[in-house]
Amino acid sequence: MSNSPPHRNPLSNTPILSVENLSKSFGPVEALKSISVSFHSGEIRAICGENGAGKSTLVKILTGVFLPDQGTIRINDLVCHLGHPKVAQQHGMAMVTQELSLAPHLSVEDNIWLGNSIVPLFHRQRHLRYKARQVLELIGLDSLDLSQPVGSLSIGERQLVEIARMLARQARVLILDEPTAGLSDVEIDRIFNALRALRSNGTTVIYVTHKLGEVFELCDAVTVLRNGKLVRTCPVKEMNRESLVHLMLGRSAQEMYQPSQKTRESPMLVVKDLQVPGLVTNFSLNVSSGQIVSIAGQIGSGATQVVRSMAGLVHNATGSVQICGNNVPLRSVTGAQASQIRFISEDRAREGIFLRLNVLENLIATRLESMFVAWSVLRDIATTLARMVGVDDSRLEARAGELSGGNQQKLAFGRSMGRKQPGVFLMNEPTRGIDVGSRLDIYKIMRKLCDDGNLVVMTSSDLEEVLGISDVVITMYRGAQVNCYTRGQVTMHNVLTDITHPQMRERKEEL
Amino acid sequence: MLLLLTIGALATPGFLSTPSIVALLTSMSFIGCVAVGMTFITLSGNIMSLCLGVTLSASSLIFISGLAFGIVPALVLAIGFGIAITACQGFLVGYLQANPIIVSISALALMLGTADLITGGQRIYPPGDGLDILTGNLFGVPVEVIFLISSVGIGQVILSYTRFGLRIYMVGTNLNAAQAAGVSIWRTITGSYMLAGLFAAIAGILLSARYGSGDMELGIGYDYDAIAAVLVGGTAIHGGEGSVLRTLLGVAVVSVIQVVLLLHGFSQQMQYLMTGLIVLTVIMLHSMGEEHS
Repeated sequence: MSNSPPHRNPLSNTPILSVENLSKSFGPVEALKSISVSFHSGEIRAICGENGAGKSTLVKILTGVFLPDQGTIRINDLVCHLGHPKVAQQHGMAMVTQELSLAPHLSVEDNIWLGNSIVPLFHRQRHLRYKARQVLELIGLDSLDLSQPVGSLSIGERQLVEIARMLARQARVLILDEPTAGLSDVEIDRIFNALRALRSNGTTVIYVTHKLGEVFELCDAVTVLRNGKLVRTCPVKEMNRESLVHLMLGRSAQEMYQPSQKTRESPMLVVKDLQVPGLVTNFSLNVSSGQIVSIAGQIGSGATQVVRSMAGLVHNATGSVQICGNNVPLRSVTGAQASQIRFISEDRAREGIFLRLNVLENLIATRLESMFVAWSVLRDIATTLARMVGVDDSRLEARAGELSGGNQQKLAFGRSMGRKQPGVFLMNEPTRGIDVGSRLDIYKIMRKLCDDGNLVVMTSSDLEEVLGISDVVITMYRGAQVNCYTRGQVTMHNVLTDITHPQMRERKEEL
Repeated sequence: MLLLLTIGALATPGFLSTPSIVALLTSMSFIGCVAVGMTFITLSGNIMSLCLGVTLSASSLIFISGLAFGIVPALVLAIGFGIAITACQGFLVGYLQANPIIVSISALALMLGTADLITGGQRIYPPGDGLDILTGNLFGVPVEVIFLISSVGIGQVILSYTRFGLRIYMVGTNLNAAQAAGVSIWRTITGSYMLAGLFAAIAGILLSARYGSGDMELGIGYDYDAIAAVLVGGTAIHGGEGSVLRTLLGVAVVSVIQVVLLLHGFSQQMQYLMTGLIVLTVIMLHSMGEEHS
C-alpha cells in the first residue's frame, strides 16, 4: 500500500466492485434501468434517491437477494454471478441490516462468529477470541467485554457489533441501509468514526441514506438514483445541499421551508409544570397559534414524552395544559381530542395508521360522531380530506399498507384535518422514513395548517428540519427544558450544544 | 373445496330430503349463533374463546331453572347471565390486557365447577311445558332458523353500520393505533365479548327448549364448531378482517360436512376428526397465504 491513504483519491483506482448495464423489473415495473456504477476500495459512497428510486433493488442485487435481469457485476475485475446471499457473502459483500439480526442472549463474541463458515463446532479458541478483539478494535469498541450478552448493549453498540461481525467474515464491501435511524447523536458519531476507520483500512462502504446531512458529513462520493436510472455519481466536494436535492428530485426544491405568514395572536397553548416521572421534569410552554414549535432533543431527552403526554398517551403524566384557556385533561386520548388536540404518531406502522384497513376507514377513524355509520357522508368527508393532503381519491378502497410511506403519513395528517375549530397538532418525527418529495408536501401541509390558525408542536431528530421549519425551537436535555429560541435567534451550534451537554455552555457563559 | 363439498352433499342419498334439510338448518342455527358471537371476539383481535360452549350449557341450565318464575324472567336471566359472564372476561382482556385464551380457559373451569356443585352433574327438567314457541315453526320455518337469520343480520349490521362495529375492526387490526385515535379499547373489547355471550345464551335457550332440559353437556363441541366456522369463513385469526356473513358460509360448510358424515353413518368421533382436519387445513392455507403476500 502506498503512503497516501487510499481514500484521498477514490475515483482513480481500479474499482473493487463495478456493475454494468444492470436492469431489473418486477412485472411491469422497471426498478432499475441499465445502471452502471463502480465502487473503489477505501471510499464511503452514499446512495441517495427518493423512495422507489431503486436504491434497495440495487443493494439487494449486490447482496445476492435478487438476480438482475440484465447486466454484469465485477468484483476485483472478475465477472461474478451473485445468485444467492451466500455467494455474495463469499465474495466479500456484506449487508448491515436495519433490523438487527443479532441474538440478544448470546455474548458479543458468539454473535461475531455466529453463522461464520470458518468456525469449527467448538470455537472458544484463543485465536478466534483474538480476531474478534481485533475487529472490535478496528471499529472503536476496544473497551467492550467479549462475554457480555448483546442484549445489554445500546442500539448503537449493537449496530457496531453487527458491523464487526461482517468484518470477521472478511467483508470487503460493507453496505449499510439507513444505519442511524433511531440512534442518538453520540451513537451516530461512534458509527461514523468506525466507518471512517474502515475506510482508511481499505474497506468500501456503501451508505444508503435519506439524511442529506450525513452525506456531507461522512461520505466521499455520492451516487444519485431517480426512477430506477442513474442520475450521476460525483465527489461530495463538488456538491451542495441544493444541487443534491435537485439531482434527487429532478427539480429544484424551491423554498423547502416557507416561513409563517400569519401575525401572532393571543396564547393558544399554555403548558405548566408538565411532569412525567423519570422522563420529564417541569416542562412549561406558552405559544400562540399560527406557528410551528419544535422541541429538539436526543433520545431520552423527554421531547417525545412531552408531546405524547399532551396527546393523552402517557398514563402517569401530571401538570396543567390549557388550549385557548380551556383545561385539557391529561391521561385521556378522548379528552385530548375533545380539547382540539390532534396527534400524529412517530411510528406509523405501530400506532399511526391502520395498515390493514383501507384508506377511507383510515381517514374517518376519528370522526365517528354518531352511533350509526352513514357511509355516504363519510365517503364525502374522506374524499375531501384525501384531496386536501394530496392522496389520490380514487384509491379510497386500497389498503393503507399498499401506499408509500409518504402517502401513509399524509393519511395520518388527513385524519386530523378538516375540522372547523382550529386545534393543536402534535407530531413526533413527522417526516421519518419519508422520501424528499413527500417531505416537501408534508412541510406544505404543516405550513398550511398554521396559516389556517392551528398550532403545530413537533419533535424531530433531524436538526436541519428543526431549524428550517420552526418558528419556535425549544431544546431539551435529560427531561428538562434548556432554552427557547424564536426564528432568527437560533443557530445549529446553539441547539447542538443545548441537547448534548448544556452545562458546558453555561460554564462558558460564566467565564 | 366448496364445489367438492356441494357435489359430495348432493351425491349423498337422502341429503335433499326435507327432514335432512331441516336437520341441517337447525344444526346450522345452533353452531351459527355461537359462531356469530365468536366472530366478534376474533375480529376484536382476541383470537377465540374456549368457553362459549360452556356458557351455552350454563345458560340452558339457568333458563330451565328460571322457568319456575315464568318464561320471560327465565329468558332475561339466561341472557343476562351469558352477557355478564363474557363481559367479565372482556373486561379482564380489554382493561387488564390479560391473555384471552387463558381467561377463557379459567372461565370454562369456573363455570364447569360451579355448575357441577349446584346440579351435582344432573340434567334438569322444566317444571311444566310452555316451550312450544321456542321449538315450533313459524310460516313453516323452524324457529331456530329464524333466530339464526336474525343473529346474522343483527351481527352484520352492527359490524358494518355502527361506530362500535368499525371500532372493533380498528382495535382488531391495530390496538395501539386505535388507542391513539381515541378509541376506548376496553369498552370495545368488552362489547365484543358481551355480544358473544348474548349469542351463546340464545343458542343455549334454543337448545334447551329443543331438548326440553338443561344440561352442562349440551354445549360440548359447539365452541369448537364455531371456531372452525369462523376460520373456514375466512375471518383472520389475528383480528380485524372478516365478517359475520363469511362466518355464516363457514357455518354452512361445517354443518354440511357433519350432516353428510351422519347420513353416511359415521360416528360422532369421525365428525370431530373431520372438523379438526378442516381447521388444521384452513390454518395452514392461511399461514401459507400470509407468507407469500
